[in-house]
Amino acid sequence: MRRSYAHIWFVAPAIFLMVVILILPIVVAATLSFTDYSLGNESFNWIDWKNYDRIVSRSSFQKMFTATFTYVAVVVPLSVGLGLGAALLINSLTRFGDVYKTIYFLPVMAALLAMAIVWEFALHPTVGIINKTLAMGCGTWLESFGFFQRGCERNFPLWLGDKQYAIWTVSFIGVWQGFGFNMVLYLAGLTSVPRELYHAAAMDGAKTGWDRFRLVTWPMLGPTTVFVVTITCIRSFQVFDTVEAFYPQGGGPSKSVYVMMFAIFEKGIQQNLMGLGAAVTMIFLVFVLALTLIQRWLVERRVHYA
Amino acid sequence: MAGIKLDGIRKAFGETPVLGTGPSGGIDLDIADGEFLTLVGPSGCGKSTLLRIIAGLEGQDAGDLSIGDRLVNTVRPAERNLAMVFQSYALYPHLTVAQNMAVPLKLRELSFSERLPLIGPLMAREKYRALMAQVAETAEVLKIEALLDRKPGQLSGGQRQRAALGRAMVRQPVAFLMDEPLSNLDAALRVHMRSELAELHRDLQATFIYVTHDQSEALTMSDRMAVMMGGEILQLDRPGLIYDDPADLRVAEFIGSPKINTLKGEVTSDGRVIAEGFSLQRRLPGARGAVSVGLRPEHLVVQDMAYEGSFTGRVVHAENLGSDVYLHLDLGTARLVVRTDPARAADLGIGATVNCAPLAGKAMVFGADNARLRFPEESAAGTETKTPAGTPPQAKVA
Repeated sequence: MRRSYAHIWFVAPAIFLMVVILILPIVVAATLSFTDYSLGNESFNWIDWKNYDRIVSRSSFQKMFTATFTYVAVVVPLSVGLGLGAALLINSLTRFGDVYKTIYFLPVMAALLAMAIVWEFALHPTVGIINKTLAMGCGTWLESFGFFQRGCERNFPLWLGDKQYAIWTVSFIGVWQGFGFNMVLYLAGLTSVPRELYHAAAMDGAKTGWDRFRLVTWPMLGPTTVFVVTITCIRSFQVFDTVEAFYPQGGGPSKSVYVMMFAIFEKGIQQNLMGLGAAVTMIFLVFVLALTLIQRWLVERRVHYA
Repeated sequence: MAGIKLDGIRKAFGETPVLGTGPSGGIDLDIADGEFLTLVGPSGCGKSTLLRIIAGLEGQDAGDLSIGDRLVNTVRPAERNLAMVFQSYALYPHLTVAQNMAVPLKLRELSFSERLPLIGPLMAREKYRALMAQVAETAEVLKIEALLDRKPGQLSGGQRQRAALGRAMVRQPVAFLMDEPLSNLDAALRVHMRSELAELHRDLQATFIYVTHDQSEALTMSDRMAVMMGGEILQLDRPGLIYDDPADLRVAEFIGSPKINTLKGEVTSDGRVIAEGFSLQRRLPGARGAVSVGLRPEHLVVQDMAYEGSFTGRVVHAENLGSDVYLHLDLGTARLVVRTDPARAADLGIGATVNCAPLAGKAMVFGADNARLRFPEESAAGTETKTPAGTPPQAKVA
């Protein structure tokens, strides 16, 4: 019998594309991370783990990890929680649901660079609307709070310019920008919850909204939640445009907003240290890969319903 | 345990009236304590809506609903103490069968803090133990002990059905509401579950309200059945009487398989009922005009020869059910379905000419408004007197 090679022809285009646009760049980046290559150089030297060694030991990279993990730790729970809350509220509306959907989804659609300018104005220490609004509280009962007292005596925070506040402010903008997307995903998840389960819960004695949420909504949204959390984690690790828009000169006040993507951009593109940039990229890749594996494991083990 | 009383229930979805559409007002229904009542009707007749109104999942537009002596118009489903089995079973997919069955107990018997995960079971260990014992007891009755640790996704249709039943049974509710619980099962299992449900009803002595579109379920299980159509109860009676003595042509056509034969006829001035050239022996005094004559397939007897007053037709289709054969006859102007035994049908192939005659006293006459026109002899329901004449001798033997 003649052997047919048709199967190879069927899979070849897909494999070719996957290798060229996915596998090969990763291999190249991994290789570069062990060199001191710079763009334009004729040759490079193998320097083993020195790039990684620098990432672990240098303080600017420790700040990178602090900033990145703070951002992820703030943005993921808040934007997932707010997304779920907004979806539940909108789902319970009989009218105007579409209006709210549009409003909450606007930040997702808007170009963040343009929005960053608006935020920069709003957060301006002296003329910004936020500090002006806060100043209106001076002289009222609000001054009994320590925050207001200090703000009225001296001045309200610099927000983006203060190393105490900068990462939290950027995180807040991240939440503002991201939760609308999670809301849309949750709204889609909610439509797939069978109505009969709510009826069964009512017959079984679920009296409060919390009972229904605990018994039906939350477990049935399990697959959606795993997806939403993973997506939000990856998006939070990838945060770049806000940082670049607010702090083009590098990482914010004393590098407190020096997130990973910005570090890659700064080292690899701005300073042309390709090897170092590639090493940070590899670390980023490991995080994302780990997240994806955890998601797969959760999907297969805990939240998959037949 | 308590009876359930419906008084003038009406319901409309937007502009579309669903229940209580007739001029007579809303739905009235008095369900006795411990009764097995079936609501049967074609899809869209409002039977599920009526059940959901009883459950409290849907509010009525008008009318009163009481359970026992308690008016429950504004009482929420959770506080009506009814249990419901859904067509799709509606088991919680993330919980095991045991956990599913424990849900109604937990929601009723444990406080908010006792229901918290991890801490709850530690706080109220005794209560949890009692609760699981109750679950185990119910599981034993339904013979699903082996399934308690499985999730609904790992169960077959019949097993899910039992688990859903277990969840309904585990706390003693006032009444069981069942919304087509058997329609997702295969035919053999459906017949089996039919007898099991009827047995369960006898054991529990509880009130069952059972919704189905399957007349055989209604006929085999219920104490009383209500035939619904177009948002109204057309007839409410014992299954046997509904079949033998329908009060409405629509009831007669819906109950009975194959469907009752209806022949167009008329009543002459002297009270004779004539249909398809055949005249009934009994007289209908008073009635005039066009009527429908209903003849069930088993009330027609195949004969060897044509007699005065028998029908002659060509066989166009034969359905062999093993014990019976139903012959579809083309009379030229109408079609008749006739029941006969396989031995007799053996030499009656498609195209054969067959003579048949109705059994005396079995024909039912319905007026133009679908209402039954009773002969003077059958004035009281179920006490039909037979008029022996009019049927040829052979038919009597058969």
